[in-house]
Amino acid sequence: MKTFFSKIADTLRRAPRWIYIALALALALIFPMLESWGLMETLWLRVGTRALVYVLLAVGLNLVLGETGLLHLGYVAFWAIGAYTTAILSSPRTARLLYMVQEHGIGKALTTVTQRTMQIPEELIGFHIGFGWVLLIAVLIAMLFGFILGIPTLRLRGDYLAIVTLAFGEITRITFNNWEPVTNGPGGIPGIMPPNIFGWVVDKPGEFFYLLLIVVVIVVWLLNNLKNSRIGRAWNALREDEIAAHHAGVHSTRVKMLAVVLSAGIAGLAGAIFGYYQQFINPQYFPFMQSTIIVCMVVLGGMGSIPGAIVGAVALDTLPEVIRQTFTKWLPDAFGPDFLPGVQAAVQTDFDRYRMLIFGFVVVLMVVFRPEGLLPNKLWRRETHEVDPREQEQTRQHLFDLEEGHPDLEA
Amino acid sequence: MALEHVFSLTVSGVTVGMIYALIALGYTMVYGVLQLINFAHGEVFAVGGYIAASTLIWAGIDDGMPLWVKVAYFALAVLVSVAVTATLGWLIERLAYRPLRGRSRIIPLLSAIGVSIILQNLLIVIFGPEPMIMPTAIVPSGSFELFGARIRVLQVVIIVTSLLLMALLTWIVKGTRMGKAMRATSQDREAAEMMGIETNRTISFTFVMGSALAAVGGFLVAMYYGSLQYDTGFLYGLKSFTAAVLGGIGNIPGAVVGSLVLGLAETWGVGLRLGLLAWLFVAGFGLGLYFQFWRAPRGRVAHIAEEFRTPAYERQLLNVYRLAPYSATKTILSKRTDALVAVSARHAMRLMTGNLFLLGFALLFFANSDVQFSSKWQHVISFSVLMAILMFRPSGILGEHIQEKV
Amino acid sequence: MAHGRTRKVLALALTLLLTVSMFTITGCKSDGGTSTDGTSGKTETIKIGVHTSLTGGLADYGFAASEGLKIGATDFSGFEVDGVTYNIELVIKDDKGEPAEAPIVAQQLIDEGVVAVIGGLTSGATNAALPIYQAAGIPVLSGSATAPDLTEVGFDNFFRTCLRDDLQGAAIGAWAIELGGKKVVVADDRGDYAVALGNEVQGTLEAAGVQVLREECAEGDVDFSAQVNNIKAFGPDVIIFTGYHREAGLLFKQCIEAGVDAQFMGGDGIKSNEIGDEAGGAANVEGALCTFGGFAQEAMPGYAAFLEKYEAATGKDGGPYAENNYDALGAVVQAIVDAQSFEGADIIAALHDVEYQGVQGTLTFDANGDVSVPGGGGIELIPRFEYTGGQWTYIAD
Repeated sequence: MKTFFSKIADTLRRAPRWIYIALALALALIFPMLESWGLMETLWLRVGTRALVYVLLAVGLNLVLGETGLLHLGYVAFWAIGAYTTAILSSPRTARLLYMVQEHGIGKALTTVTQRTMQIPEELIGFHIGFGWVLLIAVLIAMLFGFILGIPTLRLRGDYLAIVTLAFGEITRITFNNWEPVTNGPGGIPGIMPPNIFGWVVDKPGEFFYLLLIVVVIVVWLLNNLKNSRIGRAWNALREDEIAAHHAGVHSTRVKMLAVVLSAGIAGLAGAIFGYYQQFINPQYFPFMQSTIIVCMVVLGGMGSIPGAIVGAVALDTLPEVIRQTFTKWLPDAFGPDFLPGVQAAVQTDFDRYRMLIFGFVVVLMVVFRPEGLLPNKLWRRETHEVDPREQEQTRQHLFDLEEGHPDLEA
Repeated sequence: MALEHVFSLTVSGVTVGMIYALIALGYTMVYGVLQLINFAHGEVFAVGGYIAASTLIWAGIDDGMPLWVKVAYFALAVLVSVAVTATLGWLIERLAYRPLRGRSRIIPLLSAIGVSIILQNLLIVIFGPEPMIMPTAIVPSGSFELFGARIRVLQVVIIVTSLLLMALLTWIVKGTRMGKAMRATSQDREAAEMMGIETNRTISFTFVMGSALAAVGGFLVAMYYGSLQYDTGFLYGLKSFTAAVLGGIGNIPGAVVGSLVLGLAETWGVGLRLGLLAWLFVAGFGLGLYFQFWRAPRGRVAHIAEEFRTPAYERQLLNVYRLAPYSATKTILSKRTDALVAVSARHAMRLMTGNLFLLGFALLFFANSDVQFSSKWQHVISFSVLMAILMFRPSGILGEHIQEKV
Repeated sequence: MAHGRTRKVLALALTLLLTVSMFTITGCKSDGGTSTDGTSGKTETIKIGVHTSLTGGLADYGFAASEGLKIGATDFSGFEVDGVTYNIELVIKDDKGEPAEAPIVAQQLIDEGVVAVIGGLTSGATNAALPIYQAAGIPVLSGSATAPDLTEVGFDNFFRTCLRDDLQGAAIGAWAIELGGKKVVVADDRGDYAVALGNEVQGTLEAAGVQVLREECAEGDVDFSAQVNNIKAFGPDVIIFTGYHREAGLLFKQCIEAGVDAQFMGGDGIKSNEIGDEAGGAANVEGALCTFGGFAQEAMPGYAAFLEKYEAATGKDGGPYAENNYDALGAVVQAIVDAQSFEGADIIAALHDVEYQGVQGTLTFDANGDVSVPGGGGIELIPRFEYTGGQWTYIAD
């Protein structure tokens, strides 16, 4: 029996990598069609689309956390910056702001809370910025803030970086919450218009799924190339040993900065598309917990591994919904409505209270027992697993014995 | 600005600062011996408050009880909460941090965040998401007037208790064997081990002591405000860590000084509405950055400056002039003016970068119409204090005390 | 690293298996109602969605809303369309009060084939879910989403049976002026509801020439000493807190401890009897005043009967916004009967013309979908309460 399974595993292992990539892509391409063929509920399409946003975020964070080894706890800030860029540039808010700028100048427009009932001229209604520009602006602004955050912080010790990025994330959220003239404060910005890409109006979940899929594929392809380039090697070298890397000629600050700025750009991109998809943005989307959830995704999948980040994001984002549906719908459908009523009720009401608790345990257990994640990157495994102390002790003892002179030799 | 207003703000600031100090001490001691930000420490503090309050509720404390019974209950609550949190601190170290010693530094940090999430959600699961209300019976309710400001007896109690605990801690660290072991461990763990110090036991002791202090802090906060919520610990933890960094991490008097400064900065910042001062702060921030970044030869950020201050840009500029076809420009511009243009371009770029920061932070602070420091930016104060220290003086006010080789 | 490869392969295989099984299990789409051919006449079941928050910070409100609706489902079942008797089946879904979860919940309800939705509980969640409901053409009636934006962005499928924030804000402001407030503190908790309400209150007061100090006591905070010091220096006669009761309790407690002598007021967020505990004793908030964002329960024609049913069903005192949700369900049912159709467009059209006799009185909806009573009415619709002897009591005009 064992040989049978190990044979299968062996064959699967020997299969070339492109087969897995092709399989995953085919699966992703078919996924939305299942809905249009009536084989799947639209709910799963929405869950899948949201999971793709998280895939982008996890892949982007992996660049900083996994490849370069910097703990970034304010990643959600760049996501928020992207989403708010979309919301401000492509919603009824755009026309209001433009009108304020025209009437009172840019300073006043950015600092005055306008009346909700303010009338704006007819010709401005519906004014917004096109999809491509919004994406570009969102990415650039996110990168700019990544740069601003990076300059003072990248020289700091690694753990200080964690706390500074955390503070940055909170400052950003508070700013969006307080900057009422532009962001409408905690009320958020409703009515974001659907993107129009050369006549393709993206407003159905299936279409958003494909749009995001295209973006994910491009980003992952680029990141994979980058990972195997000189820069990628430099990142890994910095993660393994900063001092050694520095002496080997790696420009540590510049290379780290590149990682931080690029990952900020990816989060900005994800945020911009997320804004279009949600059609509504408020600061409640971006609490600190979201940053830790993305960290959990990367840790679960395997730091420094792109497939790991993808699997981690998909798993952590969809599993709660899958579990809920399994116990409240599929099992009762299959075995009758009275199947495990207690479990049904518990999953319905209490499951969400335990969700974050489970995430916390996932992080601690993964870090203690399997720090390289589910789909590990080889280098990290070597770094994260300490050499077995018993083994070390044996070697030491052995050397000691040799020095002392072995009794056998003396005799 | 009435003087009594300033005075009463100061008393509030000192009270808050003392509570920060009780938590910051735990951060700073753990950082001293392990070089680890114990993210879960804020949660341990909240657990302390929760346990104390629920012990009192469970014991059924009542307003009508005689004073000595109340005092007995009070002592019971302190004992239970200190015992529980000290055990918790020991367990966290034993289960989540010790197995990770010697691994890459990011790994225990991740574990710390995991523990923090677990504790916070355990509080929700066990006590529910609604706030934990502290029985009012044991809270001293009196108050008196001093220099025109009303001061609560409880504020005095908090300040005095914190000072006593800090004195006790100083004695432990300076005057006992264990304290000596702690200091040795934080200076150089390997050397300490070679000298026969049981570093593992010392580290455990540090966690137990830090957690006990945090428990008292949690109890005092619960008494002071009347209630606690499951996420109170997160914010307090973050601010206390800021205080520890501000004073110099690993440095025990530093943690106290940093906490007082932070407490006062927060209450004064919001309370006095020092619009002008805030503007000056931002301006100073930008200017300081400018000087650190470009001028100071050995400033903290000077290394980065070195990297960006490549003469490549200038050379390029000069080359453009040199390679340009013979033209009127070329004749007019002597070599000297070429250099002048290049240098002024460089300066313009520097100024622009400096102003970029100024603009960014000014936007962050004064995105709203009111130039005054409105209370909605209260949390931003401590966060930006944190960022500012780390930029200008990562070693803190009194300097850090940690292992050199990191 | 053979070990790692095996794991990787296994993980991939597992993912595949999971995905495939997901498809096969969700293989069938559920459709609208299910018919049960009884012996006496034809009875069918129709699904109505409930989009609410049963977990998270506003779980109490969600509980009250869903209980009110359960009573409604029993009461309104058995209506006739085209000679067929219909019973109501509620499909209750929880968005945890997170806007990111709201679209998923909306989609679940649509997938279930509901004809109308009652919800969402908060304005944020409703804002996030409305585009999806609109695309599906499903009418949405909220009993508690009070943000003015909702009916002004242009969603023609949205209606509500509660009053708007701007009306309540104006009412609080007017009351503070009535009490002789010359210097008034308006404080909020940085949450969407409190800020919107606070802005309305501040606008009303400033328009009347009252001096206003705006303060913020962020939700989840405990230390408001700086704010209290400001308030003390300002010397107000009225302090208005527009957020929820926990922060209100803390703020009022700290004000009293600092020796501030002023009238405490608030919106419906502070209308919870727990405020006594949170303020460190009911005596601290004795005489505090608050308003409510709906019609006065005490003045409602059908409230006593409703409360009886509610208490019998839940064993608890009446909850906030339970009757608003009950009425929302009633209005939808009447619109369905009027339109004699289950098509979303028909129901929406009928809702604009409906004149519904509910617990709250006679309700109609204006062109935007806001509730109005025959004969109109402004701020005098907002009921007033005073905290006496540990609970909120209604002040009859």
